[in-house]
Amino acid sequence: MKAWGEALTHLPRVGRLRRALVLLAFAACTAAALLYWRQQSYDLAHRPLHNMYSGTEPTWTWICRNDRCERMLASETSTLQSLPTCNMLCASTQLWPQPTGPVSLATAAVPVRADGFKLQVTTTTSKEVTDHLQGAFALMIEDMRTLEKGIGGESRRNDIGSPRNLLVRVAVNGSGDPRMTLKTDESYKLSVRPAGHHLIADITAHSFCGARHGLETLSQLVWLDPYAGSLLILEAASVEDGPKFGYRGLLLDTARNYFPLPELLRTIDAMAACKLNTFHWHVSDSQSFPLRLNSVPQLAQHGAYGPGAIYSMDDVKAVVQRAKLRGIRVLLEVDAPGHVGRAWSWGPSAGLGHLAYCIETEPWSAYCGEPPCGQLNPKNPHVYELLERIYAEIIQVTGVDDIFHLGGDEVSERCWSQHFNDTDPMELWLEFTRRALRALERANGGKAPELTLLWSSRLTRTPYLERLDSKYVGVQVWGSSRWPESRAVLDAGFRSVISHVDAWYLDCGFGSWRDSSDGHCGPYRSWQQVYEHRPWTEEAPLPTGEASAWRVEGGAACQWTEQLGPGGLDARVWPRSAALAERLWSDRAEGAAADVYLRLDTQRARLVARGVRAAPLWPRWCSHNPHACL
Amino acid sequence: MAGRCFLLAVIAVSLVRCIENIENEINDPTPVIYEPSWVFKCLPQMGCQRSAHPETTFTGNSSHVFYDSIDMCRTVCGRFGGIWPKPLTAGLSMQMLPMHPTHLRYDLSDVPAEVRETIAQMTQVASANLLAECGGNVTEVVETPVVVYLVVTSESLELSWDTDEKYDLDIQTKNQKVTVTIKAATVYGARHGLETFTQLITADRPDYSKQERCGLRIVSGARIKDYPAYKHRGLVLDTSRHFIPMKDIKRTIDGMAAAKLNVFHWHVTDSHSFPFESTRVPQFTRYGAYSSSEIYSTEEVRQLIEYAQIRGVRVLIEIDSPAHAGNGWQWGQDYGFGDLAVCVNDEPWREFCIQPPCGQLNPANPTMYRVLRNLYKDLAEALPQPALFHMGGDEVFFPCWNSSQEIVEFMREKGLNQTTEGFLRLWADFHSNILSIWDEELAAVGTENPQPVILWSSGLTKSSYISRLLNKDRYVIEVWEPLDNPLLLELLRLGYRAISVPKDIWYLDHGFWGTTKFSNWRRMYAYVLPKSEFMLGGEVAMWTEYVDKEVLDTRIWPRAAAVAERLWSDPMSTASSAEPRLQRFRSRLQARGLRPDAMSPAWCEQHDGRCL
Repeated sequence: MKAWGEALTHLPRVGRLRRALVLLAFAACTAAALLYWRQQSYDLAHRPLHNMYSGTEPTWTWICRNDRCERMLASETSTLQSLPTCNMLCASTQLWPQPTGPVSLATAAVPVRADGFKLQVTTTTSKEVTDHLQGAFALMIEDMRTLEKGIGGESRRNDIGSPRNLLVRVAVNGSGDPRMTLKTDESYKLSVRPAGHHLIADITAHSFCGARHGLETLSQLVWLDPYAGSLLILEAASVEDGPKFGYRGLLLDTARNYFPLPELLRTIDAMAACKLNTFHWHVSDSQSFPLRLNSVPQLAQHGAYGPGAIYSMDDVKAVVQRAKLRGIRVLLEVDAPGHVGRAWSWGPSAGLGHLAYCIETEPWSAYCGEPPCGQLNPKNPHVYELLERIYAEIIQVTGVDDIFHLGGDEVSERCWSQHFNDTDPMELWLEFTRRALRALERANGGKAPELTLLWSSRLTRTPYLERLDSKYVGVQVWGSSRWPESRAVLDAGFRSVISHVDAWYLDCGFGSWRDSSDGHCGPYRSWQQVYEHRPWTEEAPLPTGEASAWRVEGGAACQWTEQLGPGGLDARVWPRSAALAERLWSDRAEGAAADVYLRLDTQRARLVARGVRAAPLWPRWCSHNPHACL
Repeated sequence: MAGRCFLLAVIAVSLVRCIENIENEINDPTPVIYEPSWVFKCLPQMGCQRSAHPETTFTGNSSHVFYDSIDMCRTVCGRFGGIWPKPLTAGLSMQMLPMHPTHLRYDLSDVPAEVRETIAQMTQVASANLLAECGGNVTEVVETPVVVYLVVTSESLELSWDTDEKYDLDIQTKNQKVTVTIKAATVYGARHGLETFTQLITADRPDYSKQERCGLRIVSGARIKDYPAYKHRGLVLDTSRHFIPMKDIKRTIDGMAAAKLNVFHWHVTDSHSFPFESTRVPQFTRYGAYSSSEIYSTEEVRQLIEYAQIRGVRVLIEIDSPAHAGNGWQWGQDYGFGDLAVCVNDEPWREFCIQPPCGQLNPANPTMYRVLRNLYKDLAEALPQPALFHMGGDEVFFPCWNSSQEIVEFMREKGLNQTTEGFLRLWADFHSNILSIWDEELAAVGTENPQPVILWSSGLTKSSYISRLLNKDRYVIEVWEPLDNPLLLELLRLGYRAISVPKDIWYLDHGFWGTTKFSNWRRMYAYVLPKSEFMLGGEVAMWTEYVDKEVLDTRIWPRAAAVAERLWSDPMSTASSAEPRLQRFRSRLQARGLRPDAMSPAWCEQHDGRCL
């Protein structure tokens, strides 16, 4: 009914030795069969069922041979090894993202229990850092407990010895600020070694975030062996690691469709498992405004889908708190001046005049990119007062004051032209941006954040780009990587975050949600495409002679949610965002090679074990037979 | 006990609420509450539209009826309200009455005794679905009596292509008493009537509401006549590429029942794994299951068939052969039976099959037929009569057979050349052999007439060959060629009964791998089957290379529902006119515990016709 369309990389075949083994096995089988033939009657029907298998006995065992795990019937060998254990102990590392420094891992495992982990903070730079370490450690233990819940099913409970205790010693030198900032050094060193009947894990880092990443890596050395019915850990390990890019983001749009708090928290957890560090929360848009700000509660009142589709400030605090302990900054974006809607409709009744124009105007296609329309009124001073209040509250609740996102996406010139036919709408837009930046500066205690991001747009193209201050303003480039204007931003020396639509837009490929158009982007971006996108190498920056002027802070995958609701979030975002995470953390030159498939398959299994409904990479048989589907 | 605690808890909560309310009232001056509060009105041309609460609007236009939730508005707005798939004819009142499940009674006195037990179970499903509208707890108690009179004439429980699925549904309200009459020839028609009945009832809780309070509303008057355009309305689920646990399969069948799909085509085995337990040949699962806990036991299969039957769904089991068979068949040598299958898991796979792992049954080995006969025996015993069986029969890869010395010699003995023609003969012989085995095994369990079996379209079903190789009275062809391929029309012209599954339109896995293109629900809805007396219907297919239980629901729903309406109603109208009803169907699936994908921004869902 179908053809296997994917072209996977070929691997060299295993040679003569294996063929000889197969022949040998074949000969043995034939001999056994001959013997068996004599003993058995012809009638299959009378063979008793319970002799063939009993409910909980493992069917398969895996053996590491020639650096790959091979599946065999458990009944045919004396050794019983589960797939995860074989994967962990066979050739390649199973860490995701792949560390950038030297890695050496033992090939022996010992049992551990979640309750046997103890934290000791040996060096710290502030009480805050210590508190965060304790919080992060508690979350790691929670993850281990979740893993332990998977015990059951096929288990033989071999005698694997008693579980070891694991002492985790953490030393943080350097920054006393536990937040993920633009200056945070995220590198860490991890070593695990046996000490008597204990294990000791040493983590050293220059920041809380680095140490947390070390804990994450440590947790990846632990896995559940279903046959042993126990957690196992590599007996010894040493890892040196640090990211290639400082901004590794995932954007989630909670305006097109609303996502309840647990969905956001789970997304944060999954991000942390992949060492992504920026949760770009596109909280509002023209469709809805679910954020109930204390400073401007009218926005949610008029803009939310309903009383249950609201993020209270306590909800936001919960997200921020979880994200902080996971080494993630929350970048809360209230898009402006475009992409606003009914939330801003209450101005006239409150005596503030029109805060926005074109709200839900028809025909929408004349005034915006997708229904419903709406755009802030750039000449109403109350708009900037409100923005200042919004910005101040965002900075206060997220605790992020060095980086900010103003939005600035897709402004309709026609909407403004209708109301201000005496002014060039591009000038209005520039003026709006300047005034919004001033409002932001005031909101941030008189100091402009180090980096204020705008979406790439007509404003970030010549001749307007030159009128923006590249000292403070950065651009999140979302156009196609092939568009000249995407490159122009970089060439002009603006700090940038890459979100190329042709590689890192996770919403593409689902056709149109409207009757009249053919879908805004397509096809679906596979995890391989996400992984293999390296725009910073594809286009050499500037002619020779000049120093590389590109200032790529990193990148972000964008999950817009026109066609996505809560139930489908995980499978849409994962494991593709994990692929992005490794691109930005490790930036290995290789593409989606064989070892990447296997490690990502392991990472996907980790995410699923933690309750994230990540999509599978391939048929289960391929996971069972690593390399056979490549 | 748990129930009682829950009741107590509810009382406690309401007490606390009362106290809070009182306090709020005492603590006036009223604080400003910045709570969004929307209502919905039904506009004749536009459908349901969100609007501000009438107290706060200054238009003074009070001619509109306002509904607290979009679901309530949809239940009565438009000619077909919130019914999916669209019935043949419907007249609905715009009035709704509160009701409560405890005052809902089913009258089965006009149902033949032989089928009363079955229909009683069907009513239980309907009642459970009503409770689900309120998340299992209808807090608003009203005493409006609702009596559902079920009238069934046939005593048969047979579910087949000949089953009459027609029903009439009538709702009348007199003196605050609601009388529902569902008339049908068979229990399955009556079940469809019950399904439509539940779709005329909705929760009154506002959208995105956190409130516990929830009541049910029923349309006060309705007259519906309904029957399907096609008798075969299926969903293929592949449980070999990934094992799908029983509970997820059952949930999928819940969704099918809601959409009046009636065939669960279970592609239970493939070359990847063999999770289907055979009591006579336990080696299949022993050697073919992903693990000993990932097996469909005979008992579970029996329960599933029954579960589906109560929901008007026939389970069509497919054991694909001779290709797409590998793991689960690789034990022949161990038992001295020779190779039951060849090329199993061979590498490099590209030389032996079109997708790893490879494997194809060995037609040269008579023991293979004996093993297959034992499996068929199990199946014949498990399936309700008349049994419908899918023999697979697609994508035979000749280089695999050609690589086996045994098969090549066998062909030589039979006088078959190693040419396409020779391999086609070998393949056709295989099908004719297994068909006789199937006939014999069915006869052994008491089936008198030979039953038709289904095959996928393949090299064997080309219009130039098929008449020579496959008897049209015995084989129904499931055609998966893309839309631009003439095969389906050719087969219909030759008089073959056919089921349509155009892969470029109705394959749910497309768009995630290779160069395949995603089909959204509009595209799926727009495909119209060719008109022919031999056109049995169609299926929507969920292959699971890239899908497991984590992803299942969102991949299938709501798109499969678009196909369901095509096959049930075969509408002339456009997808956009169906969208509000499909949105309602989607929220219904959510209430019943499924996780359908979103179709649009929620704003569009709250503003019918504004996102064209």
